[in-house]
Amino acid sequence: MESMVMHTIELLVSPLLALLIGIFFLGLSRKIAARIHWRYGPPITQPIIDIIRLLSQKSANHGVAFNIGLILSLAGSLTIVLFLPLGRIAPLSDSGGMLVILYLMLIGPLGIAISSGASANPNASIGVSRKLLLSMGYELPFLLVVLAIMTAYHTTSLTEMVSVQQATGWAIVSFPLVLSGIAYLMILPAMLGVRPFEVVGAPQEISSGPLVEYGGPYLALATLQHAFALFIGVSLFVNLFLGGAANPVFFFLKMLVVFSLGLFVNAVFPRLRIDQAIRYLWRWPSLIAFAGLILVCVTGR
Amino acid sequence: MGHKYSLNVVYFCTGCGIIEVPPSITARWDAERFGIIPVATPRQANLFLITGYVSVKTLRAIIRTYEQMPEPKYTVGFGSCPINGGMYFDSYNTIKHLDKYIPVDGMIAGCMPRPEAIFIGVTHLWTLIDKDMADGYKRYRRNYSAYRANQERVLGKLEWPPLFPAPGEE
Repeated sequence: MESMVMHTIELLVSPLLALLIGIFFLGLSRKIAARIHWRYGPPITQPIIDIIRLLSQKSANHGVAFNIGLILSLAGSLTIVLFLPLGRIAPLSDSGGMLVILYLMLIGPLGIAISSGASANPNASIGVSRKLLLSMGYELPFLLVVLAIMTAYHTTSLTEMVSVQQATGWAIVSFPLVLSGIAYLMILPAMLGVRPFEVVGAPQEISSGPLVEYGGPYLALATLQHAFALFIGVSLFVNLFLGGAANPVFFFLKMLVVFSLGLFVNAVFPRLRIDQAIRYLWRWPSLIAFAGLILVCVTGR
Repeated sequence: MGHKYSLNVVYFCTGCGIIEVPPSITARWDAERFGIIPVATPRQANLFLITGYVSVKTLRAIIRTYEQMPEPKYTVGFGSCPINGGMYFDSYNTIKHLDKYIPVDGMIAGCMPRPEAIFIGVTHLWTLIDKDMADGYKRYRRNYSAYRANQERVLGKLEWPPLFPAPGEE
């Protein structure tokens, strides 16, 4: 009974924490970008103000698929959060492990693709094709990285990976896995969709891409989905390479460090073209991740 | 509060006034302090800055953009041209009084207004929003047939259906 209550509380607390951290990251990214540009920047609560404003507006609807796709992508992201250990809070992570996360990670982009495809805007179609191309670009190195980790620790469970790392040291400082860690860091901006790889939502080229027809509450939901996506990308790195954490506070601090690294890259780099992005993603991170996988297999832990 | 401190401006340069917008959103004047950012599509915006003179061709795009924005939405005319035609007062091709065609919540006079004038305009818009006096979108809904008649007088037959039904046929 006691464990049942705890389990239910964890199921409720984990998405809520993820949402809070994701929205905080959205605000932080605007503030840090502003400080790097020598501006004062918006208040850190600006995304919350925006979401309140958007939820109180009423915008055009583009049919059933528009709504369903948006809800699908939000639900996919929420489900991934339940499978990610967040400090000791790990509601479902002992029942699925890495393989479930790999499957579920496709639902987010796919839902947005269905939804904005239904809006029948040419800019949205270009954005969706870029989004799927980009996810094809980073899925290859990402799969190689995950394979290396799973081979090295002989497990597919995230909680076991975290506990092994807490016993023997972080994966990013152990020899063969450091290559995988570097490869993951190199594809992290693409997974978060920030500046060198901001090809999907490029506001100046294709009018913010898939989000071009989203207004009012739809844009608010899409913003929440983006917040979840930020949380998922960063917390996967913390779990896989920085050894998770003993409690949510340390976990948050580690996430903050990783996310700030991404922000610094975001604030100073221009945007790549989609072909340059794919060429980069399939060349350097894939090569390093592949070398890491080979080394892990050869050294055979 | 949400509407006041989260003004998203639609990127739409009608005329030369747009040259004053980049300084006000970048490092020198930094409009993002007040939650004002330019967005790329009218669906996400709630503030429409008409920057500079309005030609007959631009008016068509302005009306379509304005009608796509979700309510509540605010319009601010920027520079003297949207007020009374400005230096193009005798041009055959320029709209002289913008507020005959779409409702305007406020005007920033000057040719060009400095970026500081944009901020004075924004703080004034805040007071209007607080007092519920920035009601251009309500006026548009109420007097839609009159606005539509004015638009059709300049542009001829409009190719899109009326945004709101006529008073009798709801």
